[in-house]
Amino acid sequence: MLRRRNTVGRLGIALLLSSVVLGACGGGGGSKNKASEGGSTNGKKTVALGFVGPLTGDSANLGVNIRDGAKVAIDEWNKKGGPITYQLKEFDTQGDPAQAPTQKDRYIPDASVLGIVGPAFSGETKAVLPDLEQAGLVMISASATNAALPTVVPNSKVFHRIIADDDVQAQGVSDYVVKVIKPKKVALINDNTEYGKGLWEGVVKLLTAAKIDTTTTDSVDPKSQDFSAAVNKVKAAKVDMVFYGGYYSEAGRLKKQLSDAGVKAKFLSGDGSLDPGFITSSGAAGGEGALLTCPCRLATPDLPGKAGQFATSYKALNGRDPGTYSSEGYDAASMLIAGIEAGNDTRAKLLSYVDTLSSFDGVSKKIEFAPNGNIKAGDVFVYEVKAGKLTELGQTSELAK
Amino acid sequence: MHNDIQFCLTCLRDQFWPQTLDGLTLGAIYALIALGYTLVYGVLKLINFAHSEIFMIGVFASLFTLHGLGMQPADPSKTGVALVFTLAAMTLVAMAASGGAAVIIERIAYRPLRRRGAPRLAALITAIGVSLFLQELFAARYGRNLLGFPRVMEKHHLASVAGADIRSDKLLVIFGALILMLALDRFVALSRLGRGIRATSQDPETAALMGVNIDRVIMLTFLLGGMLAGAAGTLYGVFFESARYNIGFLPGIKAFTAAVLGGIGNIRGALVGGLALGLLENYGATVLGGQWKDVFAFSVLVLVLMFRPTGLLGESLGRARA
Repeated sequence: MLRRRNTVGRLGIALLLSSVVLGACGGGGGSKNKASEGGSTNGKKTVALGFVGPLTGDSANLGVNIRDGAKVAIDEWNKKGGPITYQLKEFDTQGDPAQAPTQKDRYIPDASVLGIVGPAFSGETKAVLPDLEQAGLVMISASATNAALPTVVPNSKVFHRIIADDDVQAQGVSDYVVKVIKPKKVALINDNTEYGKGLWEGVVKLLTAAKIDTTTTDSVDPKSQDFSAAVNKVKAAKVDMVFYGGYYSEAGRLKKQLSDAGVKAKFLSGDGSLDPGFITSSGAAGGEGALLTCPCRLATPDLPGKAGQFATSYKALNGRDPGTYSSEGYDAASMLIAGIEAGNDTRAKLLSYVDTLSSFDGVSKKIEFAPNGNIKAGDVFVYEVKAGKLTELGQTSELAK
Repeated sequence: MHNDIQFCLTCLRDQFWPQTLDGLTLGAIYALIALGYTLVYGVLKLINFAHSEIFMIGVFASLFTLHGLGMQPADPSKTGVALVFTLAAMTLVAMAASGGAAVIIERIAYRPLRRRGAPRLAALITAIGVSLFLQELFAARYGRNLLGFPRVMEKHHLASVAGADIRSDKLLVIFGALILMLALDRFVALSRLGRGIRATSQDPETAALMGVNIDRVIMLTFLLGGMLAGAAGTLYGVFFESARYNIGFLPGIKAFTAAVLGGIGNIRGALVGGLALGLLENYGATVLGGQWKDVFAFSVLVLVLMFRPTGLLGESLGRARA
């Protein structure tokens, strides 16, 4: 007994000691970063943008797409050889609201970071928004779509996103479902995340209002491989369509398990599922016919104008085609860089530049912010999984005519 | 509010048989993994938290066997002799990989501590350390994204009984797991080595005096538990068709729970606990909604432990009857 208590005591002391040491290191790192503020090499000034989002973890692809889009913008400006050299500092949150604060403690004290591309997901944005506000560090999210985000910090100055929110997407989904799929009874499933449940709630509300039977609902544990309880529920309810609010890995798995169980209902999911990772998860056969919506448009080299050009330079730099939110990531970084180029070289100046920007001609769309940081316009596109590939069907406003 | 707690007993009535079949399928895998926890606990009174990663290694080994056999993601499923051969190869490789990993872990992470008379708490910490080490090793080597399995076995609908689809892959999982568990049960009950395991778990000192080589018994225990986890990895891979560095975490926790529910240290308890947990999860999800399935399953666990503190069967490995 005595011996055991000793061990616990020793462990406790070891933990205490290590936290003191780590704390000291953290402090040291912070001051070192401060020292490098406005650091210049060869008469050139280096300025950093922070990328905040998942680079590893279950939904990493979405974060990687954004980061690689931002990289293209940074690469373009650096090639021009202006007086400022740009750098992208990456802060990997794994898309997890619990990891987000740890990363925040790295980029908020880092004075070389003038603006944030991200945070990528809604849950993590909610977790750090109050601190960003306090630090006056401007953020432009390429992908956080939860409708309630602008109200997390009332009258937030730092919050901006260049993607339409889930209410807009839910409206697009609902128009498409009501006019094109025309189901009598649907099953609605979510993954209990900030994003998945938010989009799901919007869709439930609109479809119920459209007199569609929405009594079959369920949620799944995204960490689990087994969705059999939900699959059996859907099967027993004999629905015409399944909607899933969540991310691509689980969406693909759910679609596969539904197909394997012989459920023929249409499968529809939102922007979090629009990624080739959906097909990795579902298999080509299991994913066939799945419909995925996004308030974004995937840039492909055959698109005309700036979008096509962007897709070409993206592929040249990153070695693959742009994915979901890549063009938004490019636009977010370009906006911040444009501000810095216009002489806004402090956090405060850059914040007021972005906040008062009247409009920005982006690759993804023409960007105009509403006073709460939301974007004004928002088209919703529909994609279908055909023979193991994502194929664009068109805009909901056109398809649902 | 659609997503709040529901209470739908008619749902359970309507979906009873399909939910039962799926609960048993997943429960059989839990049980197979749970045996590893139970065997090691029986002999060493140690919770081997690295066991979930031994299972993960089994899943990866199965996938690499498929790659080694040249099977591509788009290839058609195997049938007949080719299917039997592929499944057997996957299982054997996974059992060897997981069993080997378990023995190595015992050798480098637990035995040195035991030799120096370290308290069990220390072994628990090294177990968690090994678990994290293996997860991160696989994440660094094979990435953090999901790796898909090719479809080895077509998911044939064989029959429909009371709304439950009897499917070939579910039968494979349930019967595969049951046969392996039965084999283990008989091995421990009847063989000479099994007698050593039982003797050690009853009283290590006396067993040593009677000529049982304790280190060998411990190694064998890890080997057996690891091999079963490897086989569980193959079944899991064939059934869910994905592998990832952290794929062992959730089944590992669930299997540990199943072992405690059935009575840790008891081989048949692991079977009962695994199947019971699989069923409880699916029934809970049906009646209360998917987000409540763990709440429900773990509430039942607490209740069971309140009335039967040693689990459902509650008997130790040593006293298991031959």
